[in-house]
Amino acid sequence: MKQSRRVPNFKRIRMGGGKMAKPASGAARKVLRLSPGRRKDWMLAALLLLPTVYILARTFVYPIFQSLVWSFYKYNLMDGSVVAFIGLRNYAGIFRLPDFWAAMGSTAYFTVFTVGAELSLGFFSALLLNQAFRGQLLFRGMIIIPWAMLTLVNGLMWNWIYQPGYGALTILLHQLGLLGADSNPVWLTSPFRIVTFAAIADIWKMTPYMTLLLLAGLQSISSSLYEASVIDGAGFWQKIRHITIPQLMPAILVAVVLRILGAFRVYDILTVFTNNPTSSVSFLTYNYAFRYFYLGRASAMAWISTLFILALIVMYFRLLKKNAEQV
Amino acid sequence: MTRHKASLRSRWFTAAGRDLIPPFYLWIGLVLLTLFTLAPFAYLLLTSISPPIELLSGRLIPRSPTLGNYVRLFTGAAASSFVSAIRNSVSTALWTTLLTIAVGVFAAYAVAKIRFPFRNTALFAILAMQLLPSISIIVPMYIMMREGISFGIPFTGVELFRTPPLLDSTAGLVVAYTTFSLPFAVWLMAGYFQTISRELEDAAYVDGNGRLGALFRVVIPLSMPGIAATAIFTLLNAWDEFMFASAFTQTEHSKTLTVAIREFIGRYSIDWGLMTAGGIVSSLPPVIISLFLYRYIVGGLSAGGVKE
Repeated sequence: MKQSRRVPNFKRIRMGGGKMAKPASGAARKVLRLSPGRRKDWMLAALLLLPTVYILARTFVYPIFQSLVWSFYKYNLMDGSVVAFIGLRNYAGIFRLPDFWAAMGSTAYFTVFTVGAELSLGFFSALLLNQAFRGQLLFRGMIIIPWAMLTLVNGLMWNWIYQPGYGALTILLHQLGLLGADSNPVWLTSPFRIVTFAAIADIWKMTPYMTLLLLAGLQSISSSLYEASVIDGAGFWQKIRHITIPQLMPAILVAVVLRILGAFRVYDILTVFTNNPTSSVSFLTYNYAFRYFYLGRASAMAWISTLFILALIVMYFRLLKKNAEQV
Repeated sequence: MTRHKASLRSRWFTAAGRDLIPPFYLWIGLVLLTLFTLAPFAYLLLTSISPPIELLSGRLIPRSPTLGNYVRLFTGAAASSFVSAIRNSVSTALWTTLLTIAVGVFAAYAVAKIRFPFRNTALFAILAMQLLPSISIIVPMYIMMREGISFGIPFTGVELFRTPPLLDSTAGLVVAYTTFSLPFAVWLMAGYFQTISRELEDAAYVDGNGRLGALFRVVIPLSMPGIAATAIFTLLNAWDEFMFASAFTQTEHSKTLTVAIREFIGRYSIDWGLMTAGGIVSSLPPVIISLFLYRYIVGGLSAGGVKE
């Protein structure tokens, strides 16, 4: 039982070489000796991890490598052609495809727009909900409704709102007098407009998520900081700029990276509004995979997305480490 | 310190000591927030109880609300496929959650409590797997489902068992969903397990339990809120998933609600009453669960996962 109390410094064990038992040379080295208890612990850990590791290795890690391999092959499932190794030609073909760059541009626009809007709206919503007032819990509970709704139903709802003539958007604009009585614009015309309006639907759904993340961060800012700043004569915007935002930075960065990762893979909501596959990279990849069954090319495209996201993940991990060190 | 009797105007427009926002702006902000949050949802609800004729005439609030759309949803032409979609969604989501929690609990305990070699690598891998998109593995997974998953001795050609093709089956979807739910669940649960202090576990050791006994008698009961939060998240994610569902399902046998809704849009393109009714019905479970179990969801979002 005693060794469970001794929390070894993990770094020292790593440098000590792991499983080899070091000869005890004095009290200072005692912590490195591998006792039977620790070995049993490691075996138990291995046993506990086994089902998870097996499942994930078989259904996640292995397919990722398969996808990499297939991206170097010409692999068209439905047209009966021979599966042949073609090296980097899939990748070259993709980079020369104007559709691909259109999809990239569209995805970048979607990401910037949604994350920017969600951050601003979420920030102010979190500020509102952070303050103590009667009925606070009711409001906090209410904002979860958009997030809980199905993405597709969200898209369906906004598609209905955007309908020309009898959709709510047109009706409201007419009633508010912002739109002439005769004009009946069709909102979802160009791809640009479609992506913009789909982004609005996504912003509606995901702002509560951002709000809740930022709210959790706000609650750890001690109010004595604000009280001290009032003595110095700070107004609302100064408090925000000098206290709230610096204190909230870790939470903001984490939330932004998470949302960038989420927005980059947008697919579901776009399928409600359009059949145009160049509206996002995921859409284009999905089309290549399941409409044309060009599996080689789809694998290559998927891997390009994966590499991009892996780069973001490494950045995110570094952010987390920096946060943990600052705490 | 004397408190001046502040004038009504300055009371409304200046923030109290520890608050940030003056009351006037706070209430305006809250009203706007409520409008922004609830108005579209309210509109969806109102549309679903409007008779079809009124919808095309451009009224926002129905003059004669009716449940006719819901009746048509469950008894009309769309009924059988919608009802089986409900059944498929429910069973897929429940099985996924069950499998994920049952398998993930053990791994979460190991990651949280036992310092084993390569632990840091494992943490990074779990994090990365949480964040990778479905699109990365959808192609190989499709082939895997099409030909059946084969279990054999790795690195040799020996195959011990091969499942039948899993396309268009709930089992196939459950496998696909578990793949993405497991890393997230392990991460979240490990974060909760880490908050159980060592002393409580040691108390279990003193009573003569081993590690596993401590796990079942102390750690799991104490982390029930965390496990519940993880289960809720897994359930909601499985319910909402679209990409795998639309790629792997072909008939009513396994189509989930998300795919059914998508098909509604194609098939009943101007019957907005019917479609919005379907939307409300499929969104009711997650919305109700989220509202009632709100505390667990917020706890899960602010849990932050595993610390070093």
